[in-house]
Amino acid sequence: MTRAAPTTLRPTTPKEVRDAVLDTPGRLAIAGAGTAADWAGRLDDVDATLDTTGLTGVIAHNPGDMTVSVHAGTPLRDLAGEIGEHRQRLALDAARIPRGATVGGLLATADAGPSALVYGSMRDLVIGTTTVLADGTMVRSGGHVIKNVAGYDMAKLLHGSYGTLGVLVEVVLRLHPVPKATATVAVDGPLTSAAEHTARLVQSPLEPIACEWISGDPGRLLVRLEGGESTLHLRVDRLMELLGDGAHEVDDAVWDEHAALVAGVPGLGDNGLGDNGSRDNGSRDNGSRDNGSRDNGSRDNGTGAGGPAADAAPEGAVLRIGAAPTRLPSLIAELPATAVAAGLGTGVATVTVPGAAVAEAHDAVAAANGTSSLRSRSADLDAPAWGPPPSGLPVLKAIKHKLDPDGRLSPGRFHPWM
Amino acid sequence: MPLDRRIVDEFVGVLGAADVLSDPIKTRTYECDGLTGYRVVPELVLLPRTAEAVAECVKVCARHGVPFVARGAGTGLSGGALPVADGVVIGLNRLNRVLEVDPENRRAVLEPGVTNLEITAAASPFGLYYAPDPSSQQVCTIGGNVAENSGGAHCLKYGFTTNHVLSIEVVLPDGSLVTLGSDSAEQSGPDLRGVFLGSEGTLGITTKITVRLLRTPETMRTLLADFPSVAAGGQVVSDIVSAGIVPAAVEMMDALAIEAAEGATGAGYSLDTPAALVVELDGTAEECDDQFEQVKAICDRHGCTRLHIAGSPEERAAIWRGRKAAFAAVGRISPDYIVQDGVVPRTRLSEVLDKIAEMADDAGLRVANVFHAGDGNLHPLVLYSEADGEVERAEELSSGIAELCVAMGGSLSGEHGIGTDKACSMPTMFGEDDLEAFHRVRTAFDPGDICNPGKLFPTPRLCGERPGKYRPHPLEEQGAIERL
Ligand SMILES: Cc1cc2nc3c(=O)[nH]c(=O)nc-3n(C[C@H](O)[C@H](O)[C@H](O)COP(=O)(O)OP(=O)(O)OC[C@H]3O[C@@H](n4cnc5c(N)ncnc54)[C@H](O)[C@@H]3O)c2cc1C
Ligand SMILES: Cc1cc2nc3c(=O)[nH]c(=O)nc-3n(C[C@H](O)[C@H](O)[C@H](O)COP(=O)(O)OP(=O)(O)OC[C@H]3O[C@@H](n4cnc5c(N)ncnc54)[C@H](O)[C@@H]3O)c2cc1C
Repeated sequence: MTRAAPTTLRPTTPKEVRDAVLDTPGRLAIAGAGTAADWAGRLDDVDATLDTTGLTGVIAHNPGDMTVSVHAGTPLRDLAGEIGEHRQRLALDAARIPRGATVGGLLATADAGPSALVYGSMRDLVIGTTTVLADGTMVRSGGHVIKNVAGYDMAKLLHGSYGTLGVLVEVVLRLHPVPKATATVAVDGPLTSAAEHTARLVQSPLEPIACEWISGDPGRLLVRLEGGESTLHLRVDRLMELLGDGAHEVDDAVWDEHAALVAGVPGLGDNGLGDNGSRDNGSRDNGSRDNGSRDNGSRDNGTGAGGPAADAAPEGAVLRIGAAPTRLPSLIAELPATAVAAGLGTGVATVTVPGAAVAEAHDAVAAANGTSSLRSRSADLDAPAWGPPPSGLPVLKAIKHKLDPDGRLSPGRFHPWM
Repeated sequence: MPLDRRIVDEFVGVLGAADVLSDPIKTRTYECDGLTGYRVVPELVLLPRTAEAVAECVKVCARHGVPFVARGAGTGLSGGALPVADGVVIGLNRLNRVLEVDPENRRAVLEPGVTNLEITAAASPFGLYYAPDPSSQQVCTIGGNVAENSGGAHCLKYGFTTNHVLSIEVVLPDGSLVTLGSDSAEQSGPDLRGVFLGSEGTLGITTKITVRLLRTPETMRTLLADFPSVAAGGQVVSDIVSAGIVPAAVEMMDALAIEAAEGATGAGYSLDTPAALVVELDGTAEECDDQFEQVKAICDRHGCTRLHIAGSPEERAAIWRGRKAAFAAVGRISPDYIVQDGVVPRTRLSEVLDKIAEMADDAGLRVANVFHAGDGNLHPLVLYSEADGEVERAEELSSGIAELCVAMGGSLSGEHGIGTDKACSMPTMFGEDDLEAFHRVRTAFDPGDICNPGKLFPTPRLCGERPGKYRPHPLEEQGAIERL
């Protein structure tokens, strides 16, 4: 965990953010809801923390344009509720996890859920940002239209920046319609057979929205489809046929198990993955329920864990890894992973490994030409947060130097790279 | 000032004499891109054959402070590849191999000179295709697409180049060769690949690109619908989207554009309608049929006067031919014209079109409209006659329209870029602080200001010149490509 900073500033307008940055000498941490506070490199000592959670609310939602601009400290959960009334959504399935993650925090951590297979991550959904730089400069890029090639795409720079390049104050997002119906089909089996299923699936015309394997005994492949009320069942039938014996429709709640694994806390029983008959009475219509309005967790309690896994602490260390999809299964098999959620179509997986194995895991991922970063881990674990540096590091350092020459913002997050 | 002989020798040492062009007759071929109003003959044109050779050339440039401009097919419409007088052009056409198609991971690895359409050609035996489809796709290069973040008619549903590029290998302005992005959707650290995409050749030279491929949709349905007004057509677009349907493409044409296109192609458009929409749906057969019925109902509700459904691949091709020919065809109804490229929020389409009509009336000129209605990307064609002394009025009207788009909450450019053409309008969209921050990013990549200098940012030199009228790209004249 990061140490408590001497001062916490809680601005409520972009101008107050700018003033706070200008009037506060020394080094600043930027915090959203804190749900990813223990991800990536540990913060060095700072002189103050800039808490963005007072910076909330929708600035403009244009349902006809399917765009929304929001203050960066707005929890996605709250935003989802508001736009859900117009049957629209941000197509990022962090909304399934009602822990209060903010729009700015999601962008700054480059996060994404299973539906990244089709909708991409925040980088693909953000169309404009306003950011306060370390010297108080307020920078706007992009805008309110989805098609736009004027100027540099600064939102991409902020995507994955972990608060090191500037404070996001406003974010403009592209929205998608809430699907009329969704369904999830599961088939139990080990990772290797899930990978075989996936290979056939991605060659089929069935257009899965998510395709994830979760570990357990023996593990389970989850495939989500979206479509029309009267037509989706036809595709579900085709999907079950393709997946063969044992494929069956499951309730949406199965994705909570997935989310718990992503957080490194498979909290539902020992493996949470065995037969769970009560979940398997598939419902196809989920409408706005799917969209974050379901609240099954208390607001985060400082550790950042809420929802079904609220009481469990991550065991070992949670690593986020990415590799070419077909390389992922063998890569995972190489790691001493105790819990896995693997996007077999995206090549992105979240794995829990013993703390002592982190450095070795980074190396194994790098050897497969993949990328890895450390997510949640126990407070006393001293393990490298990032794998070997990318070849573009010098240019990243140069950008950091141009935007934050004194290294004021979120020092330590990219340790040991910067 | 001509380049020092010793520097020229260094380039020759890297590439061999045959791949270094200095004869003014040869270098003149590179004097402009699709924005033919600006022309500068470069000192030298370098034609490397490998990424390493590109890096070596850039190292020579860096050592001597020689400005360089990367060039793909030269189809850019904003003067991005305009040479710098005492600099070099680095042409990338010889790096044109499809290095790998990996059907299992649905991706392809390409050299920058591969044309957009060649990617799909290489992928289609596996039932895959590359989604971004600029109208120039037969000739424009993937390197140019990356630099411009190019789009096309199908970007409403599938996104732009930036959404389809996993990683790029680039030569930075100091000559170092780095990879930005990764093998998966996961990234470590800020998204440098995302900043590079759409940076119009100002941050470095792309030498290798890994793109995502999509599965060819099971079904495609295309319809052409006539409406009593542009506003009614606009309302149809909004209603389709409100119904939760994301079409693969939605394009609109007004009466003047239809007149020109139909005259040129005989594609089957109605000559007496104020507006026509082309709507294309794709996906699985079940979903496509279902949504298609809904779209037809929405069209009816808004007074559709004729609904033509493509019954065969030939009919679909005819609908698209009419649409895509509209630009070039406008030459049939006006001696000269300027193509503008601005974006407005979709819901403001009919408001902005009314305004454009008013502005055109005030200027005593005609404007034809062809546009990507689904994403609010307008391509107003300002018609005029140079012989009748209408040039200045037309230029004023054209930049007035671009700035109107910004005032309506939109953008100066949806797909053609800022380049040399609209650099001077950047301050209408961005404040000083914004531009200054862009500049900081630029100098982080290129401290010596040698990589495509003078583009994208307003400079006194640029803003003193005028772009001049639309002239067809040589490839358009040959009928090889069409403008959308
Ligand atoms: C148990 C658990 C499970 C999760 N499961 C999923 C999942 O399945 N799918 C998914 O998509 N996400 C998941 N998340 C991720 C979570 O939703 C994201 O990590 C989110 O980014 C956290 O947002 P925050 O506001 O809490 O950010 P914080 O934790 O407060 O901050 C994270 C980083 O972002 C920076 N930052 C925050 N706000 C700003 C700002 N305004 N400007 C600049 N930098 C800023 C901070 O400096 C810090 O480096 C999970 C998180 C937890 C704890
Ligand atoms: C008839 C016609 C129709 C068009 N239709 C569309 C359309 O529908 N959608 C659309 O988006 N655009 C369209 N365009 C514009 C143009 O085709 C695109 O911008 C295209 O991406 C340019 O590719 P190019 O290879 O011709 O690039 P060039 O014109 O050669 O260069 C364009 C820019 O890219 C840079 N560049 C080129 N290669 C590299 C590289 N390897 N590394 C770094 N920088 C590089 C150049 O320096 C320059 O700034 C059209 C153009 C024409 C003439």
